[in-house]
Amino acid sequence: MHPDRMWRSAEPRKSYDVIVVGAGGHGLATAYYLAKNHGITDVAVLDRGWLAGGNMARNTTIIRSNYLWDESAGIYEHALKLWEGLEEDLGYPLLFSQRGVLNLAHSLQDVRDGVRRVEANRVNGVDAEWLAPEQVKEVCPIVDVSPGVRYPVLGATYQPRAGIAKHDNVAWALARAASDLGVDLIEHCQVTGVEVTDGRATAVTTTRGRITANKIALSAAGHTSVVAKTAGLDLPLQTHPLQALVSELLEPIHPTVVMSNAVHVYVSQAHKGELVMGAGIDAANSYRRRGAFHIIESQMAAALELFPVFARAHVLRTWAGIVDVSPDASPIIGLTPVENLYLNCGWGTGGFKATPGIGWCYAHTIAHDTPHPLTAPFTLTRFTTGALVDEHGAAAVAH
Amino acid sequence: MKYDLIVIGAGPAGMAAAGTAARGGLRVALVDSAAQLGGQFHRQPPPELGGGNVRDDPTHERLGRDQSIEQAIQAPAPRRDFLRLRDRLTGVDLHLGCRVWAVEPSFAVHHDGGTLTGERLLIATGAHDRVVPFPGWDLPGVMTAGGAQALLKGNLVVAGRRIAVAGTGPFLLPVAAGLAAAGARVVGVFEAARQMGALARYPAKLAEGAGYAATLARYRVPYHRGQAVVAAHGADELAKVTVAKIDDGWRAIRTREIECDALAVGYGFVPQLDLPVQLGCATTRDSDGSAIVAVDDQMRTSITGVHAAGETTGVGGAELAELDGIIAGHSITGTPLPDGVRRRRERARAFARLLHEVFPVRDGWRDRLRADTIVCRCEEVPYQAICDAQALGAVDTRSLKLLARPGMGWCQGRMCGYAVARLAGEDPPPPRRPIAQPISLQNLAAYPLRSTNDDA
Ligand SMILES: Cc1cc2nc3c(=O)[nH]c(=O)nc-3n(C[C@H](O)[C@H](O)[C@H](O)COP(=O)(O)OP(=O)(O)OC[C@H]3O[C@@H](n4cnc5c(N)ncnc54)[C@H](O)[C@@H]3O)c2cc1C
Ligand SMILES: Cc1cc2nc3c(=O)[nH]c(=O)nc-3n(C[C@H](O)[C@H](O)[C@H](O)COP(=O)(O)OP(=O)(O)OC[C@H]3O[C@@H](n4cnc5c(N)ncnc54)[C@H](O)[C@@H]3O)c2cc1C
Repeated sequence: MHPDRMWRSAEPRKSYDVIVVGAGGHGLATAYYLAKNHGITDVAVLDRGWLAGGNMARNTTIIRSNYLWDESAGIYEHALKLWEGLEEDLGYPLLFSQRGVLNLAHSLQDVRDGVRRVEANRVNGVDAEWLAPEQVKEVCPIVDVSPGVRYPVLGATYQPRAGIAKHDNVAWALARAASDLGVDLIEHCQVTGVEVTDGRATAVTTTRGRITANKIALSAAGHTSVVAKTAGLDLPLQTHPLQALVSELLEPIHPTVVMSNAVHVYVSQAHKGELVMGAGIDAANSYRRRGAFHIIESQMAAALELFPVFARAHVLRTWAGIVDVSPDASPIIGLTPVENLYLNCGWGTGGFKATPGIGWCYAHTIAHDTPHPLTAPFTLTRFTTGALVDEHGAAAVAH
Repeated sequence: MKYDLIVIGAGPAGMAAAGTAARGGLRVALVDSAAQLGGQFHRQPPPELGGGNVRDDPTHERLGRDQSIEQAIQAPAPRRDFLRLRDRLTGVDLHLGCRVWAVEPSFAVHHDGGTLTGERLLIATGAHDRVVPFPGWDLPGVMTAGGAQALLKGNLVVAGRRIAVAGTGPFLLPVAAGLAAAGARVVGVFEAARQMGALARYPAKLAEGAGYAATLARYRVPYHRGQAVVAAHGADELAKVTVAKIDDGWRAIRTREIECDALAVGYGFVPQLDLPVQLGCATTRDSDGSAIVAVDDQMRTSITGVHAAGETTGVGGAELAELDGIIAGHSITGTPLPDGVRRRRERARAFARLLHEVFPVRDGWRDRLRADTIVCRCEEVPYQAICDAQALGAVDTRSLKLLARPGMGWCQGRMCGYAVARLAGEDPPPPRRPIAQPISLQNLAAYPLRSTNDDA
């Protein structure tokens, strides 16, 4: 990309007020809201590769806010409300399509969890419905809801305001807006270390030289633990590849988004007509951006039972991203034991939907050196205090 | 059961290597997506068409003139070469009709009917046509030269009644000669290159060319140098083409129109690197700028246990491919190379380099694109969309793809990859295709479960 025309290409300067490590969706949104909401524009966003070439370029773009716990509903619903006005705010088409998301239930336990989640969502002001199999069929006629199959559909939660967006457009729009407000976006600049003096982060070393900063904010997804380690922080994160795949273009046949946590399959039809399918995470830890084929093989077998019409669709391409999974499947956001060093990670398989919300709250946290109320529950210390936000039911493999 | 060697691609390179390795005592599997052995040059019709009858298809009725199509396309010398290669395959397990969609280290070869495992791999997946877009190139009736030849050799189907053959390279000659001998009226061969004197240094090759030239003369097919088809026209299908005299940069000078119902157009070949790239084999550039697998003088790639041979290591014709295969086979079995093989290969390789020099592809074709000329057929991306993306700031192939989607459809950029890269001012990067051939979800789902992913 030639930044001059979408955003300004910057050479790293010697010093900044704030350095954001990682130009994924989160890093870019953080920089945008630092400038917009807090007037902090002496900011550089550094990325080891292309701008938004990490998970931001690789995710299946499901956006929803129907998480179980109050803490999660808070941050995700905040994000969803921002999504609803983001296109206008950024003045750029994001192809945000609120086509609804179905989460299928295949067992009695799934049904109980789903019904409970719908109730919890309603209490939190999140739109949510419980659908019986016939209603599932009405929303998405191509799902096989017949009883005799291996994964019978016993019902589904449905969030009508949920949907998908075009990830690249989101990244470019945020980059352009941040750049217009004075933020430096610096590609191919890998952070190799965080310098800590007297318990305080003061600079980063990079492949393009040393840069000092008053504040350093990590947002490097699957690589956050690697960078944090250089500051002496050992994060409770496991890094895994997560795969997705895409088919040839088909006529419009799939009107909504269908997720099935039990079989680890997530399917939507993108704007042009290709099916986008997310798989489950590879069990092994790895930083390789290529997953194992047996994962998608077994998951596609399950997907075909749910969608028999896709049998003759072809997989044209698969890819993987490197995701950072925390012990309770919730993100880690906020201050760290190192002064002036901030943390945003652990989004695992589901952080795209949070992009504007986390950018908003992380910027606040950095600007005020205090957690934003919506992200305050997601501290690093919860793994020692035990105040976990256990979203394994709703989020373990949920995009 | 684990094979000692799995050879992917049953063209001259793969057949020669498989035969050599089997004679050296190895358990060898030879895999190809085609139903018949032979690859591109030795492509064979299926047995049920073996009698030389054109397929019973009303749009392609038999046009044979003074000989059967089969005779027309099975010149005696190549036929002998093919039979020799085939007869050496005794003991080799053939897996034909198996499209390999992925290979995994040490070594699992996944095809649409299952998985083969082997200690070593030899990749001989050949090349495909290099496509250069021009106005009207997406009309029915316009096809690649390789496609026209594959129809003829593999299906005994003549692509049209009045056919123009255009592009650049020696490959246009056998295509035109084959079509003419099979009964089509070939209205002309339009070869972009002009200066071919340097080829005289290779008398044997010259003789081969003279053979084709004699065939063209017999059927009164005019051969024009320094000319190109710059546009194709027709309402629903091809009706005529615009032919131009072109300068050294391939800009059109003077044009005329010629009626025809088929156009076979070929601008050389692009090596097929999906599988070696999947394995992480180092690549390098051929003298024409094409990405190729890097091999040493034993045809070993940078990945232990993986050899490559034939056009994946550089386009250069069937003889070179076969010699590559022989060298790879002996390297794998550790048996001594017969006298003269290496010398013949050096000569064939030098000739291939000379062909790249004599038949270059120049960027002048870019001037012919109009706003509505389709660049990527699968995603229906017109030239204007490429220009718009460039205006937005896309200065490289990757950004063009992100902004305008060329190369993201069915063929994953095999067709448009060259053109899009040149429009971005780059040599085409090595292809990254984690799935080498589209695989249907039902075939993928039919894989036996290996290990399951515990709840994540
Ligand atoms: C296949 C797949 C499907 C997914 N589907 C969904 C979905 O449907 N819905 C959803 O909400 N979420 C989904 N996710 C998760 C989502 O993509 C991530 O949680 C989210 O993108 C993470 O935030 P980010 O965009 O900032 O990350 P990234 O885009 O990964 O950004 C991190 C950046 O940090 C950079 N970096 C790393 N190390 C360094 C260093 N040392 N120095 C400088 N820079 C560095 C990287 O290059 C990268 O650009 C999916 C993820 C994958 C892989
Ligand atoms: C369409 C075409 C026509 C040609 N005609 C001539 C000609 O007339 N004269 C001439 O001198 N040269 C011709 N050439 C050049 C020709 O490619 C070489 O001369 C010679 O055939 C190269 O041999 P090879 O063994 O390297 O590859 P090829 O002969 O191309 O054989 C490669 C084989 O690999 C198989 N394959 C590729 N990918 C996969 C996969 N993923 N799974 C399974 N199988 C796979 C293909 O089906 C093919 O059979 C032609 C090339 C093309 C593309």
